[in-house]
Amino acid sequence: MKKVLNGNEAVARGFYEAGGLVSASYPGSPTVEIIQTLIDEYDEIYAEFSINEKVAVEVGIGASIAGARTLVAMKHVGVNVAMDPLMTFTQTPINGGFVLISGDDPGMSSSQNEQDNRILAKFAHMCVFDPGDAMEAKVMTKEALSISETFGLPVMVRMTSRVCHSRSIVELEDRVDRVVSGFSKKIEDYGMIPPHTFKKQYEMKNRIAKLQDFIESSPINRLEDDYRSDVLIVTSGLMYQNLKELNLKLDVLKLGVVYPLPIEQIRALKKRYARVIVIEEMMPFIEDELKIHGIACEGKEFFSFTGELMSEAILKGLEGAGAVEANDAEVIEATETVNRFSMFCAGCPHRPVFDILKKNKVSVIGDIGCYSLAVLEPFELVNTIISMGASIGMMKGMSKAYQMAERQEPLVAVIGDGTFYHSGMTGMLNLLHQLDPDYNLTLLILNNGTTAMTGGQQTASSGYYTDKSDMKVDMETLIRSMGFERFKRVDQFEYKAAKKVIDEELKYEGLSIVMTTRACALQYKIVKPHYVVDPDICIGCRSCLKTNCPPILMKAYEGHDKLKSSIAKEMCVGCSVCAQVCPVGAIKSSSAGEV
Amino acid sequence: MKSYNIILAGVGGQGLVLTTKILAEVALKAGYSVKTNDVIGLSQRGGKVWGSVKMDSEVFSPNIAVGQADFVIGFEPLEAYRHCYFLRKKGTIIVNTHKIPPIPVMFEQVAYPEDIYEKLDAEYELVKIEAVEEAMKLGNVKVANTFLLGALASRMMIDKSIWIEAISENVPRKTVEANLKAFDAYFEKQ
Ligand code: SF4
Ligand code: SF4
Repeated sequence: MKKVLNGNEAVARGFYEAGGLVSASYPGSPTVEIIQTLIDEYDEIYAEFSINEKVAVEVGIGASIAGARTLVAMKHVGVNVAMDPLMTFTQTPINGGFVLISGDDPGMSSSQNEQDNRILAKFAHMCVFDPGDAMEAKVMTKEALSISETFGLPVMVRMTSRVCHSRSIVELEDRVDRVVSGFSKKIEDYGMIPPHTFKKQYEMKNRIAKLQDFIESSPINRLEDDYRSDVLIVTSGLMYQNLKELNLKLDVLKLGVVYPLPIEQIRALKKRYARVIVIEEMMPFIEDELKIHGIACEGKEFFSFTGELMSEAILKGLEGAGAVEANDAEVIEATETVNRFSMFCAGCPHRPVFDILKKNKVSVIGDIGCYSLAVLEPFELVNTIISMGASIGMMKGMSKAYQMAERQEPLVAVIGDGTFYHSGMTGMLNLLHQLDPDYNLTLLILNNGTTAMTGGQQTASSGYYTDKSDMKVDMETLIRSMGFERFKRVDQFEYKAAKKVIDEELKYEGLSIVMTTRACALQYKIVKPHYVVDPDICIGCRSCLKTNCPPILMKAYEGHDKLKSSIAKEMCVGCSVCAQVCPVGAIKSSSAGEV
Repeated sequence: MKSYNIILAGVGGQGLVLTTKILAEVALKAGYSVKTNDVIGLSQRGGKVWGSVKMDSEVFSPNIAVGQADFVIGFEPLEAYRHCYFLRKKGTIIVNTHKIPPIPVMFEQVAYPEDIYEKLDAEYELVKIEAVEEAMKLGNVKVANTFLLGALASRMMIDKSIWIEAISENVPRKTVEANLKAFDAYFEKQ
């Protein structure tokens, strides 16, 4: 049977067909749908969104050591968080096949950086597969599990955003059931301290060497030499598809596995071709590998080191390299028009909070989540974004630096609940350590009960918002039990009351923690009647506009010369924030009369 | 079989992913090879988003080069205009006329461009549909995109029964009837 699947759904399908049993992840673009699909569609598989990527890998290691086929998925930066257990796990032998899906993001469509995780995989002695579409993603996930077991090492399937979110036709096969063999209890294999670890260094090297021998003649790397050109293109994954699109008369070695490489095969090929040109996105990984092994090749000098390499860029690069003839077809320019950036949703509970902060003219140490949008117009309020859970630790470092320099400057940090549990908690504990009781620090915890940016996965405190959750951590009890005393809860839709509390806490000399309590508007829909503006009362002051709610717009009303506010009724969810900030009471619920 | 390149453009949250999926299912059922790009990233929160669908006997890259699209489906006028340069000469652009003002317009820094349709009409076949208003008449804003699909389908050589099947299988069960009505509205008009 054939089905159209996107790359993420195809990975999930491959894991299912391969008899996979245990999977774990932390939600992050572009790989979030892998676990979501396993949860929604495949009851045979245990799938969880763990507290963070490190924990997800730990869950996976346990399952694999017990003998189950295991999949762990995360976005590229998530692998950094998981690197510690991973680096040692790659020393131990593999029992149940272990595959790590890394979702790289060339062009950073939804990430804070653009790292090339093929390099991390090599660093950790992992084999790397590079699929180019959904069908390959399914096939390679299965192949990766079997290589993992045959050669005894963890395998990375390195996806990119484009492959994760591109659909193509996938041939479905049946699931094979596999026995869980159980833990072998060999201390020398799993007890990773010296003297056991000495041997492991050699074992890791040998595993990769054996795998490389196998790769030399594996059909997973495919030579297409129909054209007998004098240039050989070496490429993989989506770059192969983008190249094929151009229909050029060039011979191609299409790699399915990009680490380890079939070095001897390529060395032999180099004798047949005058030039070897490598086409790859981001870092010159394949190119460097070839050069390390003394195989002369070209590559990055013709192609961008950053962003996605689309067909047009590949053609330009190859023209620049003189590998194909240049043609100067007319260039079509992009259409220039008004730009459009992302913004907070209608009824988003973050908006009143940032409106209050903006009125206080404070700078804010930010974190990662929907509230990162406050970096952009019109708030432009959050001043730093580094990584998940970092804001609390950073606030401590900043305050210490200021204290050492004998400067006083109130500091404000924000963090979401997902991020707090992910890795903010440890920063929180660290905050207690050598805390100056008089330094003005304010931590705002935006507890909206979800990881909203990735589609609303649950967090440890989601229990308050839905009964589907199996966790109900009480944030306040947790934080108080750590030893923090000044903790306030606010309902930010009670705008004036919330503003009063936040204003006070911002002034408080010492550490204060404020937790907001409204749930994500997208995930837990507010269904209230929409609000309407009375143009006769409105004085056009634009206070409501500044809350940045999508339905609010200034418009010309008949019989009024000044622009007055208006609310698009099909977008408004009726949260009432605009009505509360209006100084003259021009905004009212439609349930109060006129619709 | 006639090949088709289709670009979808709109604002995050308008349902481009589902529409892309329906188009891919139509292609599969019609015996095409198909690849699509789905909407990705941050832009899902009200930013500009686009997707693409390529159907042919064999498809490699999911990307459509500029000047190579047969159709642009604009879920919002400004976004239709922004992506029109993907169209080949005399290509067709189907536009939902319901405006969603971007931040610079909300904050009165720039005006929402008024000459979009003139510009589009000069170079392409332009099909304007008041999809949101028509959808509200059917009692369900969510079927707005299906009006656009109807207009697209009437211009493609794929059997109507295939479209009906793909739509019925992919929209929420409660909305099948309203969606099929919406589909018919512009399929019939052709
Ligand atoms: S009530 Fe006002 S602030 Fe709330 S969603 Fe409607 S327009 Fe936006
Ligand atoms: S806050 Fe009130 S008075 Fe000011 S523009 Fe908005 S509706 Fe008009």
